[in-house]
Formats: sequence, structure tokens, C-alpha cells
Amino acid sequence: MSAMQGAFDPSELQGNILRGYRRAAVRYAVFEVVKPVAARRWLGRSASGGDAEVPAVTPERSWSVRPDYCFNVGLTFAGLRALGLGAAMLAQFPGEFAAGMVRRAVKLGDVGTSAPECWPAPFDQPARVHLVAAIYADDGAHLDAVQRLLEQGDAAQGLRLMGIRNGGNFDGDFVHFGYRDNISQPRFAEIAEHADLGEPIAPLGMALLGHSTGLEGVSWRVPQPSVLGHNGCFNAFRILAQDVAGFEGYLDQTAEQLLADPRGAVLLPPGDEGRIGAGLTRRAALREVVAAALCGRWRNGVPLALSPETPNPEPAVSLTAFDYTDDRRCPVGAHIRRSNPRGAKIVQRVASHTRRLIRRGMPYGPRFDPDRPDHVERGLLGNFIGASLGAQFEAVMYDWVNLGLQDPRITGSNDPILGVNDPATSWFDLPLRDGKPIRLAGLPRFVTTRGGAYLFLPSLPALKFLASLSPV
Amino acid sequence: MSIRSASAALRLVRLRGAEAMSGSVGWLERVVDRLPDSPVFQFLARHVLVPFWAWRTPVAVAEGGPVMTIAPGDNVQRMMNLVMKLKDPSPIGRAKAALAIAQNVDEIYAGLNNVGTVHFARFVLVGDHLCMFSVYDGDFTNYIRDFIATIGSVFDAVVALIDGGDAVIPTEQNVEAFIDWVHARDLYQVPDLATDLLNQQRDGSATETDIRRLPRALILQLQANPNVSLGSGYRAYPGFSAAQLRHRLEVGW
Amino acid sequence: MGEATIAQRLVEAVRSDFPDHQPGTRPVHTVGIGVSGTFMASEVAGQFCIAAPFRAAQMPVLVRFSNGSGSPVEHDGWSDVRGMATRFLPGDGAAMDMLAMTLPEFFTPNVDAFLQFTKAAMPQSVERESPWRKLIDMLRLELPLPDPEPGETMNGSAGMMAYANRHGFAGEAVFRAGMIGAPVSYARATYHAVHCFIVTGADGVRRPVRFSWQPVSGVRTTDPTAPAIDRYLHEELRARLAQGSAQFMLMMSVGEGGDALNDPTRPWPAKRTRVAMGMLSLAQVVADQLADCERVGFNPCRLLPGIAVSDDPILRARRDAYEYSQRERGATPCPFAGG
Ligand code: HEM
Ligand code: HEM
Repeated sequence: MSAMQGAFDPSELQGNILRGYRRAAVRYAVFEVVKPVAARRWLGRSASGGDAEVPAVTPERSWSVRPDYCFNVGLTFAGLRALGLGAAMLAQFPGEFAAGMVRRAVKLGDVGTSAPECWPAPFDQPARVHLVAAIYADDGAHLDAVQRLLEQGDAAQGLRLMGIRNGGNFDGDFVHFGYRDNISQPRFAEIAEHADLGEPIAPLGMALLGHSTGLEGVSWRVPQPSVLGHNGCFNAFRILAQDVAGFEGYLDQTAEQLLADPRGAVLLPPGDEGRIGAGLTRRAALREVVAAALCGRWRNGVPLALSPETPNPEPAVSLTAFDYTDDRRCPVGAHIRRSNPRGAKIVQRVASHTRRLIRRGMPYGPRFDPDRPDHVERGLLGNFIGASLGAQFEAVMYDWVNLGLQDPRITGSNDPILGVNDPATSWFDLPLRDGKPIRLAGLPRFVTTRGGAYLFLPSLPALKFLASLSPV
Repeated sequence: MSIRSASAALRLVRLRGAEAMSGSVGWLERVVDRLPDSPVFQFLARHVLVPFWAWRTPVAVAEGGPVMTIAPGDNVQRMMNLVMKLKDPSPIGRAKAALAIAQNVDEIYAGLNNVGTVHFARFVLVGDHLCMFSVYDGDFTNYIRDFIATIGSVFDAVVALIDGGDAVIPTEQNVEAFIDWVHARDLYQVPDLATDLLNQQRDGSATETDIRRLPRALILQLQANPNVSLGSGYRAYPGFSAAQLRHRLEVGW
Repeated sequence: MGEATIAQRLVEAVRSDFPDHQPGTRPVHTVGIGVSGTFMASEVAGQFCIAAPFRAAQMPVLVRFSNGSGSPVEHDGWSDVRGMATRFLPGDGAAMDMLAMTLPEFFTPNVDAFLQFTKAAMPQSVERESPWRKLIDMLRLELPLPDPEPGETMNGSAGMMAYANRHGFAGEAVFRAGMIGAPVSYARATYHAVHCFIVTGADGVRRPVRFSWQPVSGVRTTDPTAPAIDRYLHEELRARLAQGSAQFMLMMSVGEGGDALNDPTRPWPAKRTRVAMGMLSLAQVVADQLADCERVGFNPCRLLPGIAVSDDPILRARRDAYEYSQRERGATPCPFAGG
């Protein structure tokens, strides 16, 4: 157990954890530590405010003037070792982080085309993925400028650039598949500016090591010395390709099915198409009804739990202050309800509200044009952050997103958007206001993993501690 | 089941017995055919052959618990077979264990109801060991973690009686270590398919599986791992979670 | 190459493994016995499969039990795979066949591999492994080669074993076939239809499934160390049915994402949802074995609306192979060929 720390000082954290920067572009640069001494020197300069040659790690703070760029780093277990962290300290990190994302593949559903054996470079050599640096800015020029810094001086000596991944917003908060994202996030009492969104406040220990977790009495191990682990957290960095053509095709196919099924009229009474969108054909309206059911939000972000009938409710509804008390409004299997059942009754009652994830993501790849469908790779550069990978990210992926253990009505099925679906066996139930749900089948896998790593996001003092390790 | 096949194999299945072929079979054959059952061979096997092959072709201790797959049926009704050595194996020590459990029935039952994913769970004393056998749905670490959150104190009382248990109590503050500790005591489950046992032991370089090696593979695994679960076990109603059964039986979940 | 050619090659390939094959008989599963009885679908069967056999309350069935071998000589006591071919007759001239065997998996995942496998399994002359060789096997803690059956001079065991060691997919079937033994009765073995089929439920949901017949009287094999008896299975069955009926439960496992849906070499774990689809009660041995059994041609792809073949390439190839074989041996064309 770590000794109780002094008052919580958010400025000791890296800035990409408790809130998003909301920049237009991101670049992830993946490095191997080749010369630990130089790498540590570089890290120390970066964590201590940077200089002309070294970009500064951006700390948590509220901006008066937005900086030109933000810069943050995460380390894999192999990376911590490569930097020279000793075995006794390494042994205090949790097993799933030590194993690394690749060895957790089956648990995460990274099988078949998502299997690590299919990941392109640099993720095909997971043992050499040591440090992932994230550069955030509003344009490519700034990203390039920071990347140039990473290719000179101590960085060039100590680190080998293994690969980069670029992401960029193309339509505010919208992501491929056409949904608005980045709406729900855990909020913490300790961050003053977090607006009251009508959701339960999360305990800080959900995000950071060394604070009380959502599970009563339970605390996670803080790797010692305290400066190393305290206020650190873990990030599942995932490169998730999205098959937009497949997704839109599935909506077409399902709309056809519902046009033919008499219960389609219960789902959307003929004549009501206008409440889905002005001027929509019945087929187009049904597509939107299905898209909303799969996610739990209309594509514009309006939650089904508050507005099951229309994406444009009058008066407008909150995008965040809702629960699943009226069971029939939002499908139990919908993506947002699966990955955060909120106050809904779940099988694992003890775990209610304990598996929340901080999500930071940005799309990559060109925007899909339905008039000119293509199969260019596009998707999401996602970060799923929490104090425990095992109790949060993995628990959500394994028990809830896939398997559906939280509610007996979806057990045995996978998340319709994200799950390891095989069209031969997949299913998804569309609830009807009355009668049995309509069971949709034949969902293919829409999201394929293309790389990733489990990262430790150290606090700034921890980065300085790592920089100060004695030479190896 | 591979176990059955392998043990049958050890006894030379298609050996028709010397009587069956007395005309065509010489004495040496008869002796050899009967050899596996002879005390001399058994002595030799135990004291020479097994140690020799264990040294020559070492087999890593296999990980405990069910294998990981993505099929829902493999992820519900999973079996945990915990075998934990008592610090004090005397009748007094064993009575202490019995009491620790008897005194905490309310805690355990309420805890299991709230964890929500457990079908069956029971404690058994076998010789010097306290065993906990359970059938649960979903991930092992979630099961243990949620359980610690609700009945950590009972775990503490029980684990305090176990060899090596002091290192992981109080469990609420040693969640990761406790989960690893439990996992290390959860029995290896021998695969249901013979070839899967061979594949588990094949080092990455080998491309061939020699099915005739099965007996050795099994023997060496058992040498490395004295307690194992034989296969993944029978289920009367496979494929359903505890909550699904309660839901469909209309007793609420 | 047309489909007929593949069918022909398949049939010739299985035939080539049995040099004493007699024209006019089945190239494999040659020795068998026909039995009639009834099938009664369970109360839930129709929910999972709307095909007629699972909706009707009760219907007549014809079953042919067989020894796997293509040799015309009956060796009931030899360790061998057994077959159970069932024809459901739900009425209105409809018919559906289900072919099952005592091995839960097949040797190869596709036709090309099967053609190679039959070459490898070509009988070679066999002798008991020498005692010295056996001793070495024992010292190596390895399985000795199975002894040939008394009087058996040729078999494919060594070839199959060698093939399995080169092709991992064949390992499970070869291994299990080597241990399979002989049933004390045709009514005391479990028979598996092996391949995945796609059933359509009353709610329109299509599910990948596999079927097995489980004997109500339990599974039992003969003592492998006792002398093998050549002929007893037919008499045993007659005697058993004279006393009463023999029953089998039809069990259906539902496949899941991640399962080998189209690969017959991988059995599914016993952890799949298992549906009791109905009960088969065998009543009597059919009187005219020649006309009503030996001349009959079963086909694993003779199905009824509500159940369809999966994409398992072996299953798909069997349709034409069985038809070809039946034309060759002059079997009666299926009187219910509409199905
Ligand atoms: C390419 C893959 C993904 C897509 C397209 C996607 C899409 C979305 C969308 C549109 C939302 C609604 C916006 C919001 O509530 O903020 C959402 C919410 C969410 N997603 Fe995803 N997601 C993806 C991957 C994941 C992954 C890998 C996880 C982690 C297990 C995840 C967990 C969540 C959570 C926890 C929420 C918030 C639910 C809530 O608090 O109500 N998502 N996702
Ligand atoms: C490529 C694979 C296979 C080939 C080429 C093949 C070929 C044949 C042929 C040619 C016959 C004789 C048909 C006739 O003349 O009526 C036959 C019979 C039979 N086969 Fe197969 N077979 C294959 C796989 C299987 C499998 C996987 C099973 C078990 C599920 C099976 C079970 C049977 C049974 C039970 C019979 C006897 C049918 C009867 O009693 O009339 N076969 N097979």
C-alpha cells in the first residue's frame, strides 16, 4: 500500500488523461528505446518543460491561450524495462500490462483478421514497441515540426522511430460510421471545469493509481517507489479499422429485411418516416432506426434512452443525463449500453459503475463517400484509459462487449458495432414497444484491430524519476 | 477424451491378449505385451523412464484454469478447481478451516449473489488441502476481483489458514497479487482433444505432431503438475450463464 | 473437370483402400443391416428446425447400421468405425437422410486432402510390431503401432499414422480411429453426423448445428484383450429387437462464433448448447434386406426445407460421390428423390 499522498495536484498529470485537447489532428510516433542513457536524458528534458530541441510533455491544466501543440508519452512494459527500470520495480506492475496487448489477444477478441499476426509494422514487432508519443495540433505543419524534433539530438540517439499513425477530425466529433462521438466521459470532482452532465461523478481512482477505486475498500497496487506509480494510469492504445462500406451495406440489408417484415411497421409505423428525418424514404428512415439501435444513440448523438422515437426531440434532451430505467427504449445490446450500462440492472451487481473508461480517440483515413464506396483503410485511433486495464478495459471488452454477460437477454451475443461477430452466428435484438424483439442476424465484424499496445501513462514526477534511473 | 485414450494407449489397446493369438505369438511378444502391467516395468518407468524423459524433453507446467477462446459456450460455466495446502493439516487445522467457512455463510452467499456469475461453489477438505470448486461465467479475474470487493474479509480468514497465504492478505489491498495467487492454485485442465495436448507442448519450431507421443506428453505433464482437472467436464445444459438460467426459469436475476 | 469427375475420383479413392471390394456393393460400409422404427421429435425440436422430421409428432424411419470397412468379409469384432444411416419418412412422399458414424470427426478438411489421405492409407502388409520395437516404444513412453487383427495381413494404419504426423488436421481422427474398438451392439454406440448443417428455426433464425445419436442403453465396446469374434452384431440386434426396442436420443449442438463451422476435422467442445431433438425407437430388422436395405442409397445431402448443408467442402462433395457410387452399384434410385 502506498502511503497517503498530499493533496491531489492535477498539474502533475499528463494533460491527455482527464480531458481531451480537442485538436484537429494527432500523430502517434512509435519508438524503440535503443540507447537507454540518451533516451532517459531526452525523457527528462521533455518532462521538465522541454527546450528548443525537445518538446515538452504537456501537463494537465486549463488553457488561457492554446499552445501550438500538445505532446504526451506512454510506455509499454518492454519500454519501462528498456529504459532501465529494475526487475523488482517492474514486478509491481499488473500482470496484464506486463503481458502486453499481444498476449491478451484472445481475451480482447483480437482473433482471425484482428489477430496480432496480421498487424502491420511497427505492431508486428511488439517487443520493440517501447514508447508511444502523441502529438496533437491543429495542422500538419505543427505535427511535422514536432516530429522533426523527435528525429534529432537525444531523441535520435536514444530512440528509433518504428512507425507513425496519423489521425484527424473530419467533421467535428463525428467518426466513421457517421456517429457523433466523444459525448460521454467520466467526470471527476477534482477537475473543477468539468461541467455537470447529470452523470454520476467517478472516483479519481477509476482513472489514476493511488486513489480510491469504485470498488468499495479495494485499491490497486501502486508500483513503488510511490513517485513511480502514484497518479499514473494505463492506456489501451488501439488502432481499430472500420469497414464503413460493410456497415452501410448491413444497414441496407437490414432495412430491406424490415421492409419485408410486418413487424417493421411496429418498429416504425408507416407515415412516421418524417420524424426520423425530413424527406427520408421509408428505407432510408429504417436504416437510421437500425443505426441508432446498434449504437444506442442516433447518429447525431441523441440517446435512445431519452428519445427513442426521433433524433430531433422537441424540446431537446440532454446527451448525457440518462439512465436505462425504461428498459425498452435502448436495446440492451447497443454499443453504448454494453460498454457502460450506467445504472441499469446488471448481472455483476458489485461491478456497477466500476468499469468506466476514459476514451480519447480520433479517426484516421479518408472520410467515406457513400457515392464512391471504397475499401481504403480507415478507422479510429483509440485510447481507453483507466487505473486498471484488467478491471476496466479488459473487463468491458471480454465480459460485456463480447459475450454480453451483464444481461441474460444478450448473453452469447457480441457488440453489434465492435464485437467479434461471425455472420453465421451473430445476432442482435431490436426491441419493439410491444411484443417480442426482432432478431437481426448475419452481422459481420465491422471493426478490425490493426495494432495497439498497453501503455503506462506516468505522471510528470514519474517521468522525471524514470529519467533519473542510474545507467545500465 | 484424451486421458482415456492415452491411458488406454498405455495398456496397448489393440493387443488381443496372448491367448487370442497363442498360435502365432512367441513368448517374448507375450512378455512384452504384458509388460506395462508388470511391477518391474512399472518400477522402471517410475524411477528411470519418467525422470529421464522429463529431463530430456522438459515440459513446462501448464497454466491453470480453462483455455481462452472467443466462443460464448467456452466462457460460461467455466470451472475453477482451487487446491490450497493448509498451514496446519492436523484435525485442529482442518477444523479451523471448516469453521472459517461455516461462520461466514451469510457473507459468502450474499457475495455470490452479488457477483452474479457463479453457478455453484463449494469448499472441500481433501487430506492436507482445502479445495474450492466453483463454476462461474466470464472472466476469472473479474470473478475474483468482484468477489474480493464483496467478501474480501472472508477470503482473508480463509487464506490466512493456507500455506503462503499471508503474503496476499488483506486481499482488498493485494488484489493483483491475490488474483495471481489464486490462478497459480487453479488446476490445469487437460484439453479434451488429444491433439490439443500435443500442440500445447509442441515448441514453436516443430511442425510435426507425432500422435504416438501422446502417452509421454501426458505422463510428463502429470509429472510437472500433480493435480489436474481431467478435461473440461460435463455440463447438462451447456451454453447458458447463471443469469440466463435464472431468467428462463423465471426466478429472477 | 466436371463434378462427376470429383465424385468418381472420390469413390475410386475409397474403393482403392479395399482390394477385395465386390462390384455391386457399397465401396465402404459394405456389411450392414437394415432396421425399421419410428422417430418422435421432442417438444422443442420444431423451434430450432422447421424441417418436417422435427415438426411431425411421429414418423417411420429406416436405419442401416454398418461396419466401416469396404471389405465384403464381416469382421464385427475388429476395431473399426461403424455407420448409422437414417432415413426419416415424415409422409407425403418426403424423405431426409442423416448419415452418422462412431468417429466424431473426419480425417481431412477438404477433398484434395482426402484424396491424398486415401493414398496414404492404402493397405500395406502388416505384421505385429516386433517385440523389440515395442520395447523401444515403451521405453520412449510412446504408443506402439496397433497390432493387426488376427488374420489381418494388410491395413492402412501405418500409412494413416504417417499422414497424420505430417498433417496435423488428421491427427485427432486417426488417433481416435486407432482406439475405437468394437461395439457390443449396434445399439450401444454413439454415432455422429460430423458435419455442420444449417437449420432454420420457427423464428426464422438460421443456426449452424451438428447432430449425434446417443444410445439410451449406453455406450459399450468389447474387451479389447479378448479374442475378436467375426459375426455377432446382426444376431445381437435381432435378439435385442425381439425383446423390445432399441432407442437413440438425437442431440443437436449449436455452433458458435470461433467454432470450426466448415471443418469436419475439428469436433466442437461439449460446451455448446445442446438441444434434445427427439427419440428414435427401433422396432424390427427389415424382412427383405436386399431390397429394403442393401439396394437403398442414402445421401447426407438429402435434406428437407428447414435444414441445409453448410459450406463444409467434404459434405458438399459427398452429395455427388454417393450418387455416383449408387449408380455404379445399381442401387434403387431414391423413391423419394423429390427431397
Ligand atoms: C472503432 C470502434 C468504435 C466506434 C466506432 C465507437 C463508437 C462509439 C460511439 C459513436 C459512441 C457514442 C458517443 C459517446 O457516448 O461518447 C461510443 C461510446 C462509447 N464507447 Fe465506443 N466505439 C468504438 C470502440 C470502442 C471501444 C474499443 C470501447 C472499449 C471497450 C468503447 C467504449 C465506449 C464507451 C465506454 C462509450 C461511452 C458509453 C457511455 O458512457 O454511455 N468503444 N462509442
Ligand atoms: C470425402 C468423404 C467421404 C466419402 C468420399 C464417402 C464415401 C462413401 C461412399 C461412396 C459410400 C457408399 C454409398 C453407397 O454406395 O450407398 C459411403 C457410405 C457411408 N458413409 Fe461415407 N464417405 C465420406 C465421408 C463420410 C462421413 C464424414 C461419414 C459420417 C458422418 C460417412 C458415413 C457413411 C455411412 C454411414 C455410410 C453407409 C451408408 C449406408 O449404410 O448405406 N461417410 N461413403
